[in-house]
Amino acid sequence: MNSLLIILKKELKEVFRDKKSLSMMLIIPFMIPLIIIGMSALFNIETNKNINAYNNIGFNYELSSEEQKIAKDLNINVTYKTEKELKQDYDDGFINLYVTKNENTYILNGKTGDNTSYAIELVNTYFSKYKEYLQDKYLTDSNIDPDDVINIITVEENIKEKDNYFQNYILTYGFLFIIMAITVSSTYPATDATAGEKERGTLETLITFPIKSKDIILGKFLSVFISNLITGLLSFILYYISLIISGNTFKIYEGISLVLPAKTIIFILIVIVLYSLLIAGVCISVASKCKTFKEAQSALTPFTFLSLFPGMLAFMINIKSSLVLSMVPCLNFVLLFEDLMDGSLNVLYLVIMIASTIILIGVLLSVIIKQYKSEKIII
Amino acid sequence: MLTVRDIKKKFIKLEKNNKKSEILANDGISFTAKDGMILGILGPNGAGKTTLLRITAGIIEPTSGTVNYDELDFKNNEIEIKKNFAYLSGNTKIYNTVSAYELLKMCAEVYGVEKNKIEKRIEEISKKLKMDSFLYNRISSLSTGQTQRVNIARCLIHDPKYYILDEATSGLDIISSQIILDFIKEEKNRGKTILYSTHYMEEAENICDYVLMINKGKVVKEGTPDKIKKDTKTTNLRDAFFSVIGGVKNE
Repeated sequence: MNSLLIILKKELKEVFRDKKSLSMMLIIPFMIPLIIIGMSALFNIETNKNINAYNNIGFNYELSSEEQKIAKDLNINVTYKTEKELKQDYDDGFINLYVTKNENTYILNGKTGDNTSYAIELVNTYFSKYKEYLQDKYLTDSNIDPDDVINIITVEENIKEKDNYFQNYILTYGFLFIIMAITVSSTYPATDATAGEKERGTLETLITFPIKSKDIILGKFLSVFISNLITGLLSFILYYISLIISGNTFKIYEGISLVLPAKTIIFILIVIVLYSLLIAGVCISVASKCKTFKEAQSALTPFTFLSLFPGMLAFMINIKSSLVLSMVPCLNFVLLFEDLMDGSLNVLYLVIMIASTIILIGVLLSVIIKQYKSEKIII
Repeated sequence: MLTVRDIKKKFIKLEKNNKKSEILANDGISFTAKDGMILGILGPNGAGKTTLLRITAGIIEPTSGTVNYDELDFKNNEIEIKKNFAYLSGNTKIYNTVSAYELLKMCAEVYGVEKNKIEKRIEEISKKLKMDSFLYNRISSLSTGQTQRVNIARCLIHDPKYYILDEATSGLDIISSQIILDFIKEEKNRGKTILYSTHYMEEAENICDYVLMINKGKVVKEGTPDKIKKDTKTTNLRDAFFSVIGGVKNE
């Protein structure tokens, strides 16, 4: 049997029989549904917040009948008390905000907080409407048509929503978590197959076998790649299922489809394969230089964050894809994924992303083959 | 025949002050191990025995010098040579996630044992080393003695011509040590060449045909145990060694 296949078989046996490797490979993907469904639920709660949670507003003055009408229209529960009493009620959580009046100045009182923010928004709407009423009344009393003064020009909005914020957020973050899951699950088998084997003392025996060092390291590399691929595919399946569940469950996705089109699925699968190869190479290359399992784990931990960081950065500060950025690992995956969702994917960038990643994988492989030819690997 | 010529091995050591210093672990060692011979490499810890055996097994490369197996030089015939020897050290560990059977099967495949002969070979070795009761158990569940037998079985699976055994009995209990020593004697009787390093002088005296005493990377004395004792006018190899190096104080 081909030496490479023998080593691959041996390494896969070790991965699949080791509880830690197996749990890293199979359990981490199950974090993705928790994150996607959890985040969607959170967005949903925040966006569709029940008005009863923030509509108890205190006033230290009597509202006029018109003010009362506006408050009623906006579903505001009005409480009249002295400023001191209102403060106490606010501190005790009976009201969400209180308004004090000093001649023509109205002061909104409260402390920064989730419900207070919603209450401020509600009271600001109330005062806008009240201001409109006063302006209309003043002009009408002066025999002036309010539209001649207030609405001299008409502004209409004809802006189509490019994409739904939540949809974009959940799709991109879910995609980023697939990448992170692959990174996290890659570190354990890569460490175990290299530094772990060195520490356990089995590497010395392996080197005395009539197998080329190239076959030894390629066998290890492929086993880590297969383990990564399983994590990646499982993560993707769970990502997809979570999107469908979220799309059918939460109001924020009403009228939006979270079902991924075929080309997006193909893109994600390409990224999973490429990234699984890339991170397997990186992890083996780093872990091979370490003498102990612990040392290798410490050296690889930053990669978990590094794999996530460029993508998050791109998402947060709105970086756009370019020829150069298509060559930057991790960043290019996220940028092109966003382009694909926008419907603006540049095929040239896609080709550059694939080609640059393959070149990088090739370089990493030559580095690790060279590492295993050196006696430093055993000493 | 195994021929080792003028092996030198330098290691670079990084000192605490970041200065590099050279350590000469082997300094011009030569020997020939004839077919059917047990060649003992004796010396205290740090004498350079493990480095020498690691070079002979191709685990590390010498700074200079050559290693030839049956006229084949190691550098250009690595894979062919590796098929003809088995390496076992006191620190040798085996994969504990597999069963003894799976390990032996893997080793047989690695060494190119014909597919239709693998099962028979495992059966033979298993009987010989009394491994039947735990052949299909995971190695992690075996006792030290059983693990040692699996290790020996691993070495026997391809019926190699040469054995390189580096402190193979070091740290083992009396029963596990005896398993190894019996295995060495048996393989010698089958005409195999054995390179055996140890710091247990009595052990070497009992089983070695020829002895190489090394200290600080150099051969300080060589010959048959009887000749060394005669030359040094001592009654055992331990005294002979101290006689050669000038006593413990000189260390």
